[in-house]
Amino acid sequence: MGLREDLERYKAVGERQRQDLAEFIQYGDLGQSLPGEVKVPIKIVSLPEFEYDQRDRGGVGKGGDGTPDVGDPVGQPQPQPGDDGEEGDPGEEGADHEYYQMDPEEFAAELDEELGLDLEPKGKQVIEETEGDFTDVTRTGPTSTLNFEGLFKKGLKRKLAMDFDREFVREALKVADMGPAGVFEWARGEGIPVSRAWLEDAYEELSTDERTTWESFEAMESEVERTSTADRIRREGIDHVPFRREDERYRYPEIIEEKEKNVVVVNIRDVSGSMREKKRELVERTFTPLDWYLTGKYDHAEFVYIAHDAEAWEVEREDFFGIRSGGGTKISSAYELAKAVLEEQYPWSDWNRYVFAAGDSENSSNDTDERVIPLMEQIPANLHAYVETQPSGNAINATHAEEVERHFGNRENVAVAYVSDPEDVVEAIYTVLSTEDSAEEEVPA
Amino acid sequence: MSKVNRDTDRIEAKRQATSLEEPASEAGALTRKLGLDPYEVKYWIVDYDEMNQLIAYGGFQERYPHWRWGMAYDRQQKQNQFLGGKAFEIVNNDDPAHAFLQESNDVADQKAVITHVEAHADFFANNEWFGMFGDRPEAAAMLARHAERIEEYMADPEISRANVERWIDHVLCLEDNVDQHTAFGESSVGEEGESVDAEAIADRLGDLDLSQDVVREVFDEEWLDAQNEEGEAVSIPSEPEEDLLGFLWRHGMAYDEEAEKATDYESWQRDVLELLRREAYYFAPQKMTKVMNEGWAAYWESMMMGEENFAGANEFLHYADHQARVLASPGLNPYKLGKELWEYIENSTNRREVIERLLRVEGISWRNIKEVVDFEAVGEILEPAPEINSITPETLDELDPEDPRIDSEALGRAKAGETDIEAYPWKVLTYEGLAERHYSLAKPQNRGFLARTTLEETERISRYLFDDARYSDVETALADVEYTAGWERMTEIRASHNDVTFLDEFLTEEFIEANDYFTYEYTRATGDYRVTSDDYEDVKKKLMLQFTNFGKPTIAVYDGNYNNRNELLLGHQYNGVALNLQTARETLKRVFSLWGRPVNLMTIVKEVNEHDVEVAKRRSREPEPEERGKLLRYDGEETTIEDLAWEEVEDLAATDVDYDTKPDEWLA
Repeated sequence: MGLREDLERYKAVGERQRQDLAEFIQYGDLGQSLPGEVKVPIKIVSLPEFEYDQRDRGGVGKGGDGTPDVGDPVGQPQPQPGDDGEEGDPGEEGADHEYYQMDPEEFAAELDEELGLDLEPKGKQVIEETEGDFTDVTRTGPTSTLNFEGLFKKGLKRKLAMDFDREFVREALKVADMGPAGVFEWARGEGIPVSRAWLEDAYEELSTDERTTWESFEAMESEVERTSTADRIRREGIDHVPFRREDERYRYPEIIEEKEKNVVVVNIRDVSGSMREKKRELVERTFTPLDWYLTGKYDHAEFVYIAHDAEAWEVEREDFFGIRSGGGTKISSAYELAKAVLEEQYPWSDWNRYVFAAGDSENSSNDTDERVIPLMEQIPANLHAYVETQPSGNAINATHAEEVERHFGNRENVAVAYVSDPEDVVEAIYTVLSTEDSAEEEVPA
Repeated sequence: MSKVNRDTDRIEAKRQATSLEEPASEAGALTRKLGLDPYEVKYWIVDYDEMNQLIAYGGFQERYPHWRWGMAYDRQQKQNQFLGGKAFEIVNNDDPAHAFLQESNDVADQKAVITHVEAHADFFANNEWFGMFGDRPEAAAMLARHAERIEEYMADPEISRANVERWIDHVLCLEDNVDQHTAFGESSVGEEGESVDAEAIADRLGDLDLSQDVVREVFDEEWLDAQNEEGEAVSIPSEPEEDLLGFLWRHGMAYDEEAEKATDYESWQRDVLELLRREAYYFAPQKMTKVMNEGWAAYWESMMMGEENFAGANEFLHYADHQARVLASPGLNPYKLGKELWEYIENSTNRREVIERLLRVEGISWRNIKEVVDFEAVGEILEPAPEINSITPETLDELDPEDPRIDSEALGRAKAGETDIEAYPWKVLTYEGLAERHYSLAKPQNRGFLARTTLEETERISRYLFDDARYSDVETALADVEYTAGWERMTEIRASHNDVTFLDEFLTEEFIEANDYFTYEYTRATGDYRVTSDDYEDVKKKLMLQFTNFGKPTIAVYDGNYNNRNELLLGHQYNGVALNLQTARETLKRVFSLWGRPVNLMTIVKEVNEHDVEVAKRRSREPEPEERGKLLRYDGEETTIEDLAWEEVEDLAATDVDYDTKPDEWLA
C-alpha cells in the first residue's frame, strides 16, 4: 500500500529534520514538553510557506459566556481558519506544529553527543531487592511457571534413550539356542535399551518354529536391516513422550540487588522586581534542559522549586517560571530553605544532589559573602551552580556571580555561568554539566 | 444512485451497503426536490483504516507518493479526529462524486453523512469557483494519473527518488501561491501566453491518453517544433503575477549544485511542477469556500435529517447529539458559522419579502409599519397550511392535485399505495410545497425575527419599491408572499460567492453581537494576547483577513529580470499585517531551488524599539510601531536583509484596510 510507504517516509523525514537540539534549547518552544516527554519541533515537516506573523495577525475568538471585556487576556490563540491542518479537511495538509517526541533518556543521550558530555550518574547507597527475570529454576512451584519446554526436551531425551528397534530385537530372539537371557546379554553389548521383561514377553509370543529362524546373531544381522531411532521417529512420529515428575522445573525470578541512582535537583530562582521578562525566559531556557537531562540520566529524579526575593518559598513547577514579585533580593534565604528541605527529605547518603540557582546577580549587600557562600559550603552536593541572566550586560551592583566564582575558583563542584542572550544558553548548560563531569571522583558515592 | 462495495467478501460492509441503499437514493431524491442539483454520488462502505487513509489522501484513493500523506495519516490515527473518530464525512469533488461511509458508524450517522454529502455534491456542481477548474473535474482520474507519473519518475534510476521528493517539497511550499481567482489554465498558456512550449504540449498529449500511434501520426516532432518557433517569452510580468508556480514553470531554472549554476529544468521537473500546480488549482476552491460549503451541507443535512425526519424516531436523539457535537467544536467552526449565516440569509430574505408585501398595503409605510402591523399575527398567517404541514396516509385525499404545491404524479402513486408516505411524506410535495412546509419565519426559533426589523431596514426596502399601494389589507398582501424567496436567494448565493464575499456581504452586526465574537491581538505591553475589540467592523475585518487568500499574505512576482541579472523579485502585498520573516526566509530558499538564480522579496516590517515598549508599558498603552521597507535576498548561500527606501515599497502598502483593531488607550 502506498500509504504505508508514505508513513515510513514521514517517519524518516521527521527523524532527519527534527530541529537541531541546540537551536531548540535556545529558541524553541519548550512549553510543549512535559517533564517526562520532551517534544522537539520537527523543522521541515511543516514545509515553510509565506505566512503572516502570528502575533501581528491576531485573530477572532468566540466568547463562551458573553463577550469578554477589551483588555482581557485570551490565553493561547484559538485555531484560525488560515492555520493549516487544524481541520483535517481535504486539501488542507501541512501543519505548523509537529513534534518529535523523545523521552528524557534520549534527550540526555543526544545532548551528550551534541555537547561532547558524558555524565555518569553515581549510584547511591540505596539497595533494593527487586525481582528480576524468571531465570532461576526450582523443582516445585505453581503450574503457571512450569518450564514446559524443558520438560518436553527431557522427556524427548528419555524417549530417545529408551527407544529401540523392536522388530530388530524380535528377530534376535529368533536366533537358535538364544533365550531371553542370551538376547538380553547380547543387547547390552549392542547398547540396545531393552528390558528383560520385554524380551520374555516377546519370546513367549514366538512360535517354536520361529525361535530357530536364524543360526546365529551374525546371520540375523546380515539379513535384517536395523533402523535407528531417529529414522524411526522421522518416519512414524513420536506417539508418546514420557513426562516424568523428576524432569519438572519451575521458573523462579532472580533476586537482584540494585543500587538506584536517585537525584534531587533544587532549582532556585530570583523572582524579585528586577527579574524582567527576558531574564525570566533565560532562566527557563537554561533550567528546563538541565532538568530534562538529569531526569534522563538518573533512574529517579525529584525536583524542588524555590522562588525567592528577600524571602524564599517553595513552589510547584507550573508556577516556578511565571512568578514575579516585588521586593528586594536576598539569595541566602533560598539556600537556607534548600538546606532545610534537603536535610529533611533528601539525605546526602541516599541522594545525588544538584543545586541550581539563577538570577541577575543582584543581592543584598554582604549577603553573598557572609551567608550564601558558607551555606553553599555547608550543603553537600554533586554540583552547585549559579546562572547569571543579564540580557543587557552587567548592572553595577550585580556581583553575586563574580563573588561566588572568585571564592570557589576552580572548585570542582561549583559552576558559574553567564547568560545574556539565548545564544549563550547552550554554552551555560555545557559549563554546568561539564563541571560536574570532571568532579566525578571527588564526590562521595 | 449506486452502492458499490469494495470488497465483496466483507459481509458486514455488504449488509450495510444494502441497508443504506434506500436512504441514499431517497436522500438524493429529496435533495433534488429541495431545489438542489448535485452531482451523482457514489457511496462506498469502508473500514476505519481505509477511512483514515482516504482522509490522509484528501478524499481520494490514489495520490502521488509523499510523506505528507503519511503525516496526515499518522495524525489522523492519533487524534481520532473530532467526534472521536466517528461519522467522519468525506466526499470528493468529482462527477460523479464519491462519498465514503465508515462501516462502524450507526445508521443514524450514516444517514446524516449521506444528507450532508448530497449537499456538498450540489455545492461542488454549482459553485462557480469550482467551475474555474473546468466543467467536469474528473479528479480521481487526474490524481491517479499524477500518482502514476510521479511514481515512474521516482522509479527511474536516472533521476533518484530523493531528488523527486525534494523537488515536490520545493513546489509544495508555494502551493498556495497560485492565482485562485482566475480560471485554471495550463502554465504553457499562462500570462505571456504566446509562447507555447513543446514539452507542455507533449505533456498535454500525454494527458489525452491517446495511443502512441495516434500521437506519432498527428502530432509528430515537426509539428511540435513548429509550435515552438513562436516568439521568445517576455520575462518581466507586465502586472504583478500571483501565480508564482505558473511563472516559475515558464521562466524558472533549476540550480545545479555541482556546477554551481542555473540549468534548464529537466523534463521531469517541469512536469512535476505543472501537475502539482494543477492539483493546487483543483483544491483551491475547496479552501476558498469552506465556511459556505460546510454551512451549506450542515443546513441541508439539518433540514433533511431533522425537519424531514430522515432520521427515524429512534435515531433522532442520536442524530441530534451528533450534530450538537459537530457544531460545538471549539474555535471558529466553519460548520457553525456557515450554517448560521445561511440561516440568516434565509430569514432576512424571507423577511424582506414579507416587508415588501406589507409596505404595499394601503396605509402602511416604512415609518409606521412597526406600529400598525401586528407581527405576531403576521407570523401566524405565514405558518404553513395544515394540509402541507402534516401529511399522513389519511390526509392524502385532502390534497388537490391541481395545487402547485402538490406533485400530482407522486400523489397518484401515493394514493395507489406505492409510496411509504409515513416515512417520506415530502414525496407528494413540489419545491413550492416544501418551501412552505419549511418556511423559516414560521419556525419557533425564528419567531420575533420579523418584529426585530429595524426602521433603517424598512426604509431601505421601501426605497427600492416602485408600485406601492396594491393591497387593501394585510391578509391579501401576505397571501402573495413567495415562500420560496429564501431558498431562491440561497441557491443564487451558493452559485456565485466564495467565503470572502460571503462573509463580507452577510456577516452582519446582528450576527456578530448575537454570537459574542471578538478580536484579539498580541500586545507588546503585556506580552500576551488580549481581547482588542468586540466591534462589528473590527471582528469582520479580522475574519476577512483570515479568509482572504487562504488566510495567507499575498505574494506576487514583480520582476523576472531584477537587477538586470535574471534575478527574481517578489513583493509581499502588505495589508498592515507583517510577514513571518523566519518562514519567509526558509520559503525563499525553496524559491531559489525553483528559480536557479538569486531571489529577492520586498516586504514591509513593523519595528518597535525596546525603549518604546518599556515606556508604553508604564503608560499602559501600546507602542507605535514604525513601518519600514525591507528586501530579503537569498543568493544560494546566504540570506541577507536590507533596508529599502519607503518609495520602493510604497506601492505594496495597502491604504484602504487597517487590520489593527487595538484601541488607542490600551488597558487604561
